[in-house]
Amino acid sequence: MVDLSNLSGQKTEDIEKLTAAKDISGLIRALRSSNMHTQSAAAKALGSLGPAAMDVLIRDLKKKDKDHHLVIIKALSEIRDPTPVPVLIGMLKDEDSEVRWGAAIALGEIGDPQAIEPLVTCLRDYDKYVRYGAAFSLQLIGWKPPNDEEKAFLFVGMQEWKAVGLIGDSAVPALANILHDRHSIVRIKAVEILGELRSTRAIPVLMQSLADEDSEVRWKTVLASEKSGIRLMHLPRGLSRRPGLKKNPLIAGFLNFVLPGLGYAYLAKWWGVMIFEIDIFATVWALQYWGEKFTYEALLPIYFVLALHAYYITVKMPMDPP
Amino acid sequence: MDIEAMKNAQDIQGLIRHLDHGKPYVQWRAADALGSLGEIACEPLLRPLAYHRVNVRIGAIEALGAIGSPRSVEPLIKTLMTDKSYEVRWVAAVALGEIGDKRAIPPLLASLKDDNRYVRYGSARALKEIGWSPETDEERAYYSLALQDWETVKKLGASATSPLIDMLKVQHPAMRAHIVEILGSIGGAVAERTCEQVLRDPDENVRWSGVLSAQRCGVPASRLPLELSKRPRTGPSVFGATLLNFFFLGIGYDYLGKWWGLVVLEIYMLLFLVSQLLVGLVRTLIMMVPVLAVFAVQTYFMAKKEAALAG
Repeated sequence: MVDLSNLSGQKTEDIEKLTAAKDISGLIRALRSSNMHTQSAAAKALGSLGPAAMDVLIRDLKKKDKDHHLVIIKALSEIRDPTPVPVLIGMLKDEDSEVRWGAAIALGEIGDPQAIEPLVTCLRDYDKYVRYGAAFSLQLIGWKPPNDEEKAFLFVGMQEWKAVGLIGDSAVPALANILHDRHSIVRIKAVEILGELRSTRAIPVLMQSLADEDSEVRWKTVLASEKSGIRLMHLPRGLSRRPGLKKNPLIAGFLNFVLPGLGYAYLAKWWGVMIFEIDIFATVWALQYWGEKFTYEALLPIYFVLALHAYYITVKMPMDPP
Repeated sequence: MDIEAMKNAQDIQGLIRHLDHGKPYVQWRAADALGSLGEIACEPLLRPLAYHRVNVRIGAIEALGAIGSPRSVEPLIKTLMTDKSYEVRWVAAVALGEIGDKRAIPPLLASLKDDNRYVRYGSARALKEIGWSPETDEERAYYSLALQDWETVKKLGASATSPLIDMLKVQHPAMRAHIVEILGSIGGAVAERTCEQVLRDPDENVRWSGVLSAQRCGVPASRLPLELSKRPRTGPSVFGATLLNFFFLGIGYDYLGKWWGLVVLEIYMLLFLVSQLLVGLVRTLIMMVPVLAVFAVQTYFMAKKEAALAG
């Protein structure tokens, strides 16, 4: 056996030794080497070992270890053997977006047409990396979108915004899909193109996006709405549905009454917890030195004032910045 | 009750109540129904303009815009000029545009200078709807700024200078940064002075835009650092953090934005309590004060270093 404790400095000769010994698990460990050449050499070697190695790799894919998954997926995309295609297709539904992305890329490298349908589904993923990987792989496999709608999904995946805009009406579903993207930059792009389409089909989608949590997305939506023919009159109400940042004055007041200070903490005042701590100490000391009755008589009015204050400042708080 | 039924029964009060329904599409249909009732709904809809709920005000204004009665023009102008909610001011501007009454032109012109970009935008569109078009370059500048039509503003050149400087008052930092950039490209003595003043803006992007524009206007670079140093410091106070940590160890860290500040506070409080039970308050204080002093000094240097990094 080769000494595996020193894998990072391993040379290709070691890989040759491992290959000669048909040491599959040794080669799989070598896939984790920090040296790119060693990684590739190990992947190639595993490929040359045929079905036996492939079985072990596929079995490893079924274990629950994300980092290991990514290593094996990378090797599989270099080996390009079609055997793992069904397993990789299954991984397109993994909950981890990096695994989905890796699987999508590997399927493209392997180039098996079986993967087309699942990859087309991946163009609708909420993660832009996965969409990008799927789109790239579909092009590698030589997929031709059957209609404009699918073509739009492909271009959105590739981030070819100009091409998306040229498709026209049929691009609406693909753009509506990425309005759920986590990144506001992507959503802004989608909204801008939806406006450029100048299509009434975009109206319901834009109305949704008026209530976006990001203020810049909302503003761009207003500008885009004009182009798609939404009546300006309907926009303010759409905008007023946005998630409110305003806190509930009753909650703030109640919290400050029962747990003085935490009402302020709820309003995101950094000194809320400080008041809470001071109160606990004051209460403990007062109970110790003054006795129960006097303590409550002294503290309850203060709590009441704190509650009123929290209520009042919440009511006076400005709405979110425009 | 069904919106359609209320509409047929001309139950105006019932429809107004539904303007604040939990479901947005019901609000919408109620507003549409009120709008379709025409002139008879106009008078009853004027009172909700003063109601507390924003949704009711928006719905009433939508309906008034659809009804288009000249009687609603003055109340809508009042709403445009005084309402606290920017969505309400915005929808009032749009409604005035739909009604198309010329009386609305002066207040809409004033609204081009509103602090909120939605209100400015709505007012500009409404003015166009009424058939107004800018007569002077100054009006054109405010109008184009409201539409965020930067190209037109740039082309106006020197005549846009004073509207641009006036609009530097808006709260939205991106807009201020944009204005400064245009001022830099226009140049001239007034623009030059403004670009220099803007170096004291609380927003970093605006200040940076000011640095670039000031140099383009011909302000000698050597003058910029001094001007920049006069900006208000918005970061946490060094002295405050020190003092807080001296009295409530941990809160000072919390104030500086360290998540573990509260953990330190809890540990400190617990130790304090235990020690007080074991050796009494006075001896606890005697023990704690030197420790707290050490922490206070450490906090002072830490806060100072962070303030320098924050610029």
